[in-house]
Amino acid sequence: MVEILQKLKILADGAKYDVACTSSGSERGNSAGGFGNTVAAGICHSFSSDGRCISLLKVLMSNSCIYDCAYCVNRISNDIPRTTFTPEELVDLTINFYRRNYIEGLFLSSAIVKNPDHTMEKIIMVVRALREEYRFNGYIHIKAIPGADERLIAEAGRYVDRMSVNIELPTQESLKLLAPQKKKEAILGPMGYISGRILESSEDKKNYKKALPFAPAGQSTQLIVGATPDRDLGILRLSEGLYRKFKLKRVFYSAYVPVSNHPALPALAKPPLLREHRLYQADWLLRFYGFTANELLDESRPDFNMQLDPKCDWALRNIHYFPVEINKADYATLLRVPGLGVRSAQRIVRARRVGPLGFEDVRKLGVVMKRARYFITCKGRYYDKIAMNEEFILQNLLADKSQAPVLGQGYRQLSLFPVLPERNLIEAAYASITGEL
Amino acid sequence: MLVYVYDGSFEGLLTAVYEAYYRKQKPERLLPEKNLQSSFLDEYIHIVTDMEKSNRVYDSIRRKISAQTLENIYHVYLSDDPEAGTLIYNYLRLGWKIGGRIELHLSEDCVFKVHRICQRVTHETHKMMGFVRFQLVEGNIYYAPIEPDNNIVELLAPHFADRLADQNWVIHDVRREVAAVYNRSEWVLVNSVLEGLPAEDEKEKEYRELWKEFFNTITISNRFNPQLQKRLMPVRYWRHLTEMW
Repeated sequence: MVEILQKLKILADGAKYDVACTSSGSERGNSAGGFGNTVAAGICHSFSSDGRCISLLKVLMSNSCIYDCAYCVNRISNDIPRTTFTPEELVDLTINFYRRNYIEGLFLSSAIVKNPDHTMEKIIMVVRALREEYRFNGYIHIKAIPGADERLIAEAGRYVDRMSVNIELPTQESLKLLAPQKKKEAILGPMGYISGRILESSEDKKNYKKALPFAPAGQSTQLIVGATPDRDLGILRLSEGLYRKFKLKRVFYSAYVPVSNHPALPALAKPPLLREHRLYQADWLLRFYGFTANELLDESRPDFNMQLDPKCDWALRNIHYFPVEINKADYATLLRVPGLGVRSAQRIVRARRVGPLGFEDVRKLGVVMKRARYFITCKGRYYDKIAMNEEFILQNLLADKSQAPVLGQGYRQLSLFPVLPERNLIEAAYASITGEL
Repeated sequence: MLVYVYDGSFEGLLTAVYEAYYRKQKPERLLPEKNLQSSFLDEYIHIVTDMEKSNRVYDSIRRKISAQTLENIYHVYLSDDPEAGTLIYNYLRLGWKIGGRIELHLSEDCVFKVHRICQRVTHETHKMMGFVRFQLVEGNIYYAPIEPDNNIVELLAPHFADRLADQNWVIHDVRREVAAVYNRSEWVLVNSVLEGLPAEDEKEKEYRELWKEFFNTITISNRFNPQLQKRLMPVRYWRHLTEMW
């Protein structure tokens, strides 16, 4: 008991910097005589005191790594206790946690022990035992170990819901600097292979019912933000490429947490959480809102605006698209309005079939009016006194506290504008435009 | 003011809706008899639950309005909102007037309120699927006490009957004194007052300690953000969360 408690502590500690903890993307009922199922939306079971969701038992198989990647807590040159789970221990933990509804399933990763093939084989032993011996139907997410044989990856894919290969560093140069033993090809190789197999199995499924699944919840990856001088534009273009080319389900961004004082790494007081947040916002815009990376950022402004979310920022630079008439605009146009989300846009499209919508109706449908009001009209009317003017909107958006960077303690809002009560600002700005006093 | 009083059951509520229609009355409120505070000025009519009348209303909702509406009012009923009966009555009257498209009329106050309450109920059900914590007790039974805002035990039961099909479990709403009990083949809803919990299984403490260790270890201290944690996992649920003990 004491021994397993120690192991769990060490190996959960080694896994925690991997941010992925989603249990979504698979919908599978239980099988006769088995236990466990998966829910398409995923289920969060708890939230740790850093506010991150806990849905899977996220641990390493082992932390005895042969690599020496500067950004990683498990690098061989780091002086930390080393240990390895036996497959039986992991199976027992997973099953007993699952039966108490502590978790949604297992997320198994590992340091590279001996060599990639050996590590991958160990991981497969665990997932095979869970699926075949214990008939466990819960969620399983594993790491495809870069450099492992394709046959091993193919075998693992039969058992798991999701596979991921972490890119970690967005460019070849950064990789060379911080993870000299990792090669770009070793990472992208298995990614391409997995995406091919996923596609193949979903095609098979259309043709015959008993087709074997291959990672039905798709694959994901992680990029570390802030450990290297890479710009947001490069990161976002990479994500866009990954979504298009490899059909990834998710790209996760992890604000770099200083775990080492390697000379090649920046000395950060705090992880760049706001930057991470902006990347996630932009990531959603890519996946669900029909934006492209080049619309959001370009060479002249390669980083996100820390004061405004990427959508507001885009809207202000493209003010000629606005205002948008709520009762006429098509769905794709509605999606581009700040303050409107996928759900509220869908609700608007449905609700306006029975009659024109006013501002009060739009608010009830879940639109965030404090942002949307500058960009929309209802039945041809503006909300209150609004000027279709970048400066005016910017001032009012910034005066709104919710836009202030609350996440990043490392950032402070610039005092470009006096912080006045919102009401006065609107009137002051309006007066300056109309010339009235 | 005319007030209909029903016995608190869903069937009772539907019977009240039936009576209002056939008696050609327009009650201003429909209230459950539990916790009823009668006022001298109001007129109260006690409705006797009648399965046949209730079934007729049930069928009529499904045929003349929609199955979606039926589900919505059931969720509103489960919300335990004191005004649930009155709201459902007003919403149904509008539904019979305009039919299945009622769900689009969100600018109608009663439709909007119904949707908001439904959302609350389904959101809590989803959250609870994660927050239920079982403990293994003597007799090989997994027991989970919960105290949700809405009366959602019966919405949770099908999920766990599929997921944990090979274990005996009980999900017990300790405040409402109802429980879903599953015996590895089917689940039933029972009214229950728990008189002392059977002794904990000997291995239980071990797994609880392991889980707490995992829970504490997984936090990244540089990202410490307890407000976010509380927003996503409200403190009122902590009492029954093993990791928060």
